[in-house]
Amino acid sequence: MSVAKRRNINWNVGVRASVAVISTFLFIAPVLWMVTTAFKTGNQAFSGEIQWFFTPTLENFAEVLGGTRLTYALINSLQVSVISSIVAILLASGIAYPLARYEFRGRDQIAGTILSLRIVPPIVTIIPLFLVMRTIGLNGSLLSIIILHVFMNLPLAVWLLRGFYEDVPKEIEEAGAIDGLGNIGIFFRMVLPLAMPGVASTALLCFVFSWNEFLFASVLSNAGSQTVTVALTQYVTPVGTEWTLIMAAGTVVAVPVWLAALAAQKYLVRGLSLGAVK
Amino acid sequence: MSPGLLFLAAISLYPTLYSLVVSFMRWNLSSGEAARFAGLDNFVGLLTDGLFWNSVRVTLVFVFFSVLIELVLTFGLALLFFRGFPGDKLLRALIMMPMLCAPVVVGLLARFSLEPTYGIVNQLMRSIGLPTTEFLGNVDLALPTLIAIDVWQWSPFLFLILLAAMQGLPEEVIEASKIDGASWPRIIWHQFLPLLRYPILVGVLLRLIDSFRVYDIVYMTTRGGPVDATSTMSWQIYDVGFRAFNISYAAAFSWLLLLLVLLAVNSLIRRMVARS
Repeated sequence: MSVAKRRNINWNVGVRASVAVISTFLFIAPVLWMVTTAFKTGNQAFSGEIQWFFTPTLENFAEVLGGTRLTYALINSLQVSVISSIVAILLASGIAYPLARYEFRGRDQIAGTILSLRIVPPIVTIIPLFLVMRTIGLNGSLLSIIILHVFMNLPLAVWLLRGFYEDVPKEIEEAGAIDGLGNIGIFFRMVLPLAMPGVASTALLCFVFSWNEFLFASVLSNAGSQTVTVALTQYVTPVGTEWTLIMAAGTVVAVPVWLAALAAQKYLVRGLSLGAVK
Repeated sequence: MSPGLLFLAAISLYPTLYSLVVSFMRWNLSSGEAARFAGLDNFVGLLTDGLFWNSVRVTLVFVFFSVLIELVLTFGLALLFFRGFPGDKLLRALIMMPMLCAPVVVGLLARFSLEPTYGIVNQLMRSIGLPTTEFLGNVDLALPTLIAIDVWQWSPFLFLILLAAMQGLPEEVIEASKIDGASWPRIIWHQFLPLLRYPILVGVLLRLIDSFRVYDIVYMTTRGGPVDATSTMSWQIYDVGFRAFNISYAAAFSWLLLLLVLLAVNSLIRRMVARS
């Protein structure tokens, strides 16, 4: 390669990298502003001028986490997200594994119907489900939110798990069958361990969606069963808004999701595109 | 029949039918009157209701522009990234941050950033001599502002899908066209776009489905205002059903929303299922 050509390529990479850095900054700047504001005192945040350098304070976090409201909601959200993710994975496995393994009539129709459930906007389902929950007396309970989050995440989980279970080589299962394992034994002792990275990241995605969900949780919760997204809405009051506190609360809500995504990063794209782009 | 299928059937079929029944009744939870059959009253009422048509228009404008802008923007961004450069993995991980924030958090952040006196957007605008602007309180600016917020939050999602797809393209395709002396715009148009049709289809489909349901951000920022300028169908249904408690009207409303979504994504989803 000639020197001129190589220089041209380096220049090319340099330009692309610079434009990419600027674009990335545009995407993360508001997030950075949220996180830095969370570490500011009121005077620093509302001076009317942007303060690039300041002495960070943990006061906002102390106040947000010291109060009962957000802490309580965090515990609620943790329960809802963890339980609904686990249940969604279990139920979805029961659907996805047969879809991945066995040829049977109507297989593609079932898969298609399950996927099509994701199209329905939540506002469409919430009205009848609200009435049903009211009738059976589950209104305002964490259980009702958990049930709806399982419902919300099932199509996604089925679609993803099906892909991950398909990736397990068939020969391994046949070897298990020869060793005398039943279907359930084969699934739990051979397929599940091999598909574990995929299953775990599916669970993390379900966790993220459940943690961030707002409409179902807001319609069905009461003061005792608020999730974090619902609790956040209460910080904005008509009488003065304490933005430093709100930004601290927003940061606290966002951090678990960032961590979960970091853990599932390898499978994130596949997960978000329902396995369509592997 | 696995337990999962039973659960799905129970929780989707029953409420669906129930809501269809409710949409043919007259039922307001706040009036205390018993529900009674009303035939097509709700649907006729909706089709002659200015607020309904306003919400249809707002939703279609929101969906069309947010998805279109996101697609064009992220295609360019993915082209920037797909050949790689030092540090690209780190940038890619950072770009994901907006889409991982709960829409409720994004709504709060938008309110704070756009706040007239100490919001960062207005501070920056003033520093280059632009006037202070009430983005969310202005009838003409509120909807474009919501579109911008959606583009900011969800472009990373399309970006990741397109980038993964581009990186999966066979190297020979690009090499071969280069040897033929094709220019980059030609390679992109004649090689990339045809080969990337399916991932683009999936990405656009998922964005369409999600933008039709926009609700959380509206709730946190404009609450449908000013003067219904940002009253999307999802928001309007919530307003009718859970603030005015006109349950049957909201049920009929939501059936029309579902119909609109199905019309919009039907051909796309059929192609997607056919490919899988």
